[in-house]
Amino acid sequence: MYQKAPITDRVKRIREKCRNTKPSLDISRYRLVTEFYMANPQLTGILKRAKNLRNLFENLPVVINEDELIVGWQGKKYRSSALYPEVSWKWFMDELRINYIRTRSVDPYEIDEEDEKYLLETGDFWLKNNMSAISDEYLPRPLQDKLDQSGVIFFNKSDNAVAPVGHFVANFWTATQKGFGAIAQEARDKMTYMEEHGIFGEDVQKYHFYRAVEIVSEGIIIWSKRYAAEAKRQADECADPARKAELLEMADTLDWIMEHPCRNFHDALQCIYLYQLAMCLDAQLHGISFGRMDQYLGRYYEKDIADGTLTPEKAQELVDMFFLKLMELNKIWSEEATKSNPGYTCGTLITLGGVDMEGRDATNPVTYMFLQSSARMSLNVPQALRVHEGTPADLWEAAVETTKVCGGIPTFESDIAIIPAMMRRGVPLEYARNYCLHGCVEPGIGGYEWAQPGGNGTQSYINIVNAMLMAFNNGIGTMKVPGQPANTKIQGPETGYLYEMESMDEVLEAVKKQFYFWMPWHANCTNTWESIAAFHSPLPMVSATFAGCMESGKDVMWGGAMFNSTGNSCIGVGNVAESLNVIDQVCFRKKWATTRELYDALMNNWEGYEELRQRIVGQLPHFGNADPDCDKYMTFAANTYADSINQCVGPRGNHYAAGCYPVTLNVVFGYFTGATPDGRKQGEPLTDGISPVQAMDKNGPICTMQSLLTFDYGAYGNGTLCNMKFHPTSLAAKDGISKLVNVMKSYFEQGGMELQLNIISGDTLRDAQAHPENYRDLVVRVAGFSAYFVEVFKDSQDDLIRRTEMAL
Amino acid sequence: MSKELTGRIYDIQGFSVQDGPGVRTTVFMKGCPLHCPWCHSPESQAFRKQLSWMSMRCKGTEACDSRCMKACPQNAIELGETRKDSLTGNDLQMIHVKRDLCDDCGKCTEVCYPEALYLCGEDYTVERLVSRLIREKPFFKGGGGVTISGGECLCQPEYVLEVLKQLKAADINIAIDTTGFVKWEIIESILPYTDLFLYDLKHMDSEKHKAATGVPNELILENARKIAENGGKMQIRIPVIPMFNHDEENIRKTAEFCVSVRDAVTLVQLLPYHNMGVMKYLRISDKPVMEATPPSDEYMNKLLAIMEEYGLPAQIH
Repeated sequence: MYQKAPITDRVKRIREKCRNTKPSLDISRYRLVTEFYMANPQLTGILKRAKNLRNLFENLPVVINEDELIVGWQGKKYRSSALYPEVSWKWFMDELRINYIRTRSVDPYEIDEEDEKYLLETGDFWLKNNMSAISDEYLPRPLQDKLDQSGVIFFNKSDNAVAPVGHFVANFWTATQKGFGAIAQEARDKMTYMEEHGIFGEDVQKYHFYRAVEIVSEGIIIWSKRYAAEAKRQADECADPARKAELLEMADTLDWIMEHPCRNFHDALQCIYLYQLAMCLDAQLHGISFGRMDQYLGRYYEKDIADGTLTPEKAQELVDMFFLKLMELNKIWSEEATKSNPGYTCGTLITLGGVDMEGRDATNPVTYMFLQSSARMSLNVPQALRVHEGTPADLWEAAVETTKVCGGIPTFESDIAIIPAMMRRGVPLEYARNYCLHGCVEPGIGGYEWAQPGGNGTQSYINIVNAMLMAFNNGIGTMKVPGQPANTKIQGPETGYLYEMESMDEVLEAVKKQFYFWMPWHANCTNTWESIAAFHSPLPMVSATFAGCMESGKDVMWGGAMFNSTGNSCIGVGNVAESLNVIDQVCFRKKWATTRELYDALMNNWEGYEELRQRIVGQLPHFGNADPDCDKYMTFAANTYADSINQCVGPRGNHYAAGCYPVTLNVVFGYFTGATPDGRKQGEPLTDGISPVQAMDKNGPICTMQSLLTFDYGAYGNGTLCNMKFHPTSLAAKDGISKLVNVMKSYFEQGGMELQLNIISGDTLRDAQAHPENYRDLVVRVAGFSAYFVEVFKDSQDDLIRRTEMAL
Repeated sequence: MSKELTGRIYDIQGFSVQDGPGVRTTVFMKGCPLHCPWCHSPESQAFRKQLSWMSMRCKGTEACDSRCMKACPQNAIELGETRKDSLTGNDLQMIHVKRDLCDDCGKCTEVCYPEALYLCGEDYTVERLVSRLIREKPFFKGGGGVTISGGECLCQPEYVLEVLKQLKAADINIAIDTTGFVKWEIIESILPYTDLFLYDLKHMDSEKHKAATGVPNELILENARKIAENGGKMQIRIPVIPMFNHDEENIRKTAEFCVSVRDAVTLVQLLPYHNMGVMKYLRISDKPVMEATPPSDEYMNKLLAIMEEYGLPAQIH
């Protein structure tokens, strides 16, 4: 029987402090990086990045807050965001100059006046000296004019790549079990060997790499020892004997870890946190995830319990404290980008459960502890639970109980579907079984596969709805800017106009041509960016532990990992499927309207065609209701997109992997997408992942699942996302949870890939909109990650409410 | 050529969590001999296809140029109240159906594209229903399956029997949700295909039963005894209705009856009255609706304790 244990007083205190602290900007990192870059123009490439990070390790303030057991921070201020000027900068200076940071509509930040002054004085140094500006210069020629502002791919002629690579999982097994002392020594040995035998040929690149690894590995040890000294200092001054003992124990841990293999559970948790923070300092916080934490922590926990050096309660408190450190993490984005990832979150996803490399159930006590911490603190730390045939009933129950408290946590990921999808992109079985989830829902082999599932971070999404609309308008975008004449610029292939098409086959052929044009152009741009980023922003801190890198002498960004892949995600697959079905029904079968009339309706944003629009919305079958016609077009849309992106090849030699998860970009992209045949008007949200069109899944969850099973998930190596919202009444009965679990099991047995559940009522959400003060703790899964509902911006709130309440 | 057998259905609900064990799909059939004032599915009572109007879906007469009003041969649709659109904040002009004039011809539903006006009730052939239910079989875990409910599903006995035969042939677990107010022969005919009866006991006093529901309870109790004698299993459902059957005396008598057929009873469900069905009345009629305060959790727990006192396996909901 599932039970939530109460949290300790100090956990309660930190949690309150976290929830009550308004996030602010901290310029500690900015100042050090600016001074370093200004003083060292002669340094470039991997050595510049390594020495820059080392400088941060040696000079960043070390902060140990009251009550903390797990420590580490990127600056001085509690719950602050560091700044990363060398990644992208223009948007920040723009917002700073108009004094917008403190007042913007989503995720505003506090900033000290003195800091602001320093930023204004020095900020211009970075305007052209950042990864985003540098990679813009290298984009392929057609971006300069033809493909700019297409609304399909999100590369334009400038201001690309405002987020770095992100969405990766380092090898925490190596970090905890080997330690950076041994890694630095290994790098030194490799260099010594080369120095004695010649730094010849291509080996010279390896030499640079090992040099960088040595620098950052030594650096992270120095950083940890600085924290140890601070803990010792606080212990010396501490009057409370209990806290003093704790601080001394923390000092012992911090002095030992990073350099040496971890000895116990506390060592391991602290090591994981500091290493994670180090990677964020280097690469910027952006979906940097933890992978299978229960797997690499389980052995420490079990050993400590057996030795009698740890109690389950003490361990649970440590996990609580660890979670509260994750809650502190946040990163300022541009306002535009924030709209797609609101709520001061940064996608540090944790993966739990699943099978081990031999295929046995891998659940251990730590699996439960992680779910427990989320539920008992009601915290939106994103977690993904891998499920398979052998997942224990108790774990299913704990997971659903958790999701009842924290909507969408955990997500449910099916080993039955994902392991074969991993293998289809070339990963051997035993490694495929070791997959975890990156960032939102993207599967990859954490620590072994450089999955780059989020591409360059910001431009990794494709709006396939706009690509489809170009198919009806001779390659011209249909988005109309109010007050301006219709767009006439031909950007995609000239596939003719909808009113010239005489059969459904012609329509489908045109859509296919657009997809096969735009997906490669997305890949061309991503590849160009990556090739430049590989030189300017390699990642030696991650590479130090990553399987394959030390062996090959190559950074992860240079293709050094054991496995490589590149991910992508489409937005609006549901709108494409529905639109095609509508064209078939309206123009060719029921003949409610001619292709000319439907075309005119779209170009006029349905104005003058309201009757037709109502008929389409009200009387045609929609995807998600197990209607075979609709499902047929879903298969077409999903396969055409997946085939056209999966054929593309990245600079590390791997194929791209299709995905379908929108975060809340479906709302943002909707603003810039013309009217669609499914009755959607210009500006309205697009569909959420592979979930049915909002409010169109009338026939309940089982029909929806049957429709979702028409997907070929094997082609979606980069993950899919399906949100299902359940009203709490559907779980009210004694066996409500087991019934819900049974439905999910059936779905996964039949090949379903991923599900996330929101068990809340629309009324609750509406009330939360009206009275946010009463719902500060209401956690809602917003497509791919969780956020506090009241911190999500209003359009996304509306979108959540509109989604059908399945059980009603 | 004989007419193909069809059944009149007003809803099919997947992931039905309140109608029997496990994950089930429930088929709601139209028509009922009882007329309980607390009924939360008023659209289930009449057998005929009934004009329904869901105000939430109505876009207002301005948006559709009052198509429904123009289409009605009886002039039964007039302008009604206004409603504020929750998204735009605009006032929308709603309609009102004059029920005394409406003959449920459905002409207005053909021109109501958002389907705010619709005929409640659809005739399904056996094949159409069964093929859909069989497709959902992989989801029927945890002892789940299909529940045939109503209205009173056994008012369409031939159709239900044929559906049951075919579902049983596909090895699907079957529950029948019934008022029990049907001829024994009908129950006897379906008994071999029925794994479980969801069996309502509304009041032990026949006169009070008749006064509220329109029918006495003797046949209902008699049929329950016969189901027990013939090896059937029953999940007894007691709707707990304030001012009608909620008193301790009636609950005790009901418990005593359950004890008398104890071997057949798998579970006693106490279903507290709720008023979520009230809005459904507005879709099909103007008549005043019974509204009561749902019994408190505390009171329900008291009744549960009584059931347990009699050694009966019981639950609330």
